[in-house]
Amino acid sequence: MEALLSLSNDLAGAVEQAAPSIVAVQARRHVPSTGIHWRPGIVVTADHTVRREEDITVAAADGRSLRAVLAGRDPGTDLAVLRVDGLGAATAALGDDGALRVGHMVLALGYGPRVSWGVISAIGPRWRSWRGGEIDRLIRLDLVLYPGFSGGPLVDATGRVVGLNTSGLARESRLAVPLTTVSRVADELLRTGHVARGYLGIGMQPVRLPEPLRAQLGLAGETGLMVVTVEPDGPAGRAGVLLGDVLVALDDTAVGDLDDVQARLGGTRIGTAIAATVVRAGARAELRITVGERPRRGA
Amino acid sequence: MSTATADPATAPLAAAVAEMAARLARVTVEVRSRGRSPAHGGPVGSGIVWHPDGLILTNAHVAHGDVVVVLSDGHARPARLVARDPRRDLAALVVDGTDLPAAEIGDSSALRVGELVLAVGNPHGLVRALSAGLVHAAGERFIQADLRLAPGNSGGPLADARGCVVGLNAMIVGGLAVAVPSNLARRFVREQLRA
Repeated sequence: MEALLSLSNDLAGAVEQAAPSIVAVQARRHVPSTGIHWRPGIVVTADHTVRREEDITVAAADGRSLRAVLAGRDPGTDLAVLRVDGLGAATAALGDDGALRVGHMVLALGYGPRVSWGVISAIGPRWRSWRGGEIDRLIRLDLVLYPGFSGGPLVDATGRVVGLNTSGLARESRLAVPLTTVSRVADELLRTGHVARGYLGIGMQPVRLPEPLRAQLGLAGETGLMVVTVEPDGPAGRAGVLLGDVLVALDDTAVGDLDDVQARLGGTRIGTAIAATVVRAGARAELRITVGERPRRGA
Repeated sequence: MSTATADPATAPLAAAVAEMAARLARVTVEVRSRGRSPAHGGPVGSGIVWHPDGLILTNAHVAHGDVVVVLSDGHARPARLVARDPRRDLAALVVDGTDLPAAEIGDSSALRVGELVLAVGNPHGLVRALSAGLVHAAGERFIQADLRLAPGNSGGPLADARGCVVGLNAMIVGGLAVAVPSNLARRFVREQLRA
């Protein structure tokens, strides 16, 4: 009996520990979403719940309604950062998402506070969301995200935040954006207002590389990427990439699909030269492309 | 299947849950509609033995009139509806008996968000099935729990980690269990059965 009572007290204690840093975010009609008071005056939430960029308010844990300013948003990782004055000192206690294991008991919290209970159902490596964002670790949850829970904290049994819950990154399953990604993206959003992504200015389609060609040219991958559109003044266009070229490697690492390409075009590559290997008319050609920055939608 | 590989640290927890489930099952009754004989009635919900002298509490939407209850020992007994309040979704039944296994009633106002709760009931014809979850939100008029219920759970106990009944499961709203708090049920019993 003691074991059950002590677990129960731990879980209720975890909620009490996290509750003061949980806010309600009013940035859409109907149900508010949840936000986490991350650092003094900074709230993070799920980008897909921010449906307007002006007239955003945040309700603090003590019920006060405060004006919030959108500091930046990244649809790729489904994160948005708000600046809010007057939230007080209660910021989230941060844990370590690297220590999470399948089967760990976790809580998803919504403003109120309200609670959902479950376990980590899967942990996976770094992945790219369908919106193109780089997420440092896959955290799949076996729990219910109730209406308004997106943007709220995933906390471990000690009440420490290990991620941000969202229903916006997968249609069928509940995921959390790991703390590592939230910190990285929030820092970048506060610095620049957006998350920069490398950009080549070409459209590509995966194609199978014939075995004799692979042998002849010493190509590692089974597929390459045929260039099907070239922006004339884009980074690749300026470097001499032609329609019909087949991209097979970047920085001497084979690229077989668009994910491989994206993985080599992180924000830190912008402005630097990348070595591109293409197959052109049956022969290898080496080009140096100065990586540009992906133009922002609507910007 | 062997359980020998179970983590020793979780064994006391598993044992505690099992003991709690058994304890709650003893005080949970099955409520059946009254047919021509006890065997003819269909299951309609669950109830809680509130007092050893035969007082049973359930939801008003479970008991519209006299019913039959099946006690945890398997005995079916006719039950008389003695009070009913659809507004609070509470009903009181009385069966003959003097020494029934009665629930320990907890203080629902002391519930903390996030604490463990267990529900026992008769969902989908299963008899005295257990569900476990957490308090999602607690108010004076209702308790919400992140816990899977099915219709036959209505009227059955929601208990805390001590095994004390803190509510009567009444509804499922948006996937959440909604229970009538035990303090409201206590007041109902006081008001209706003062005599």
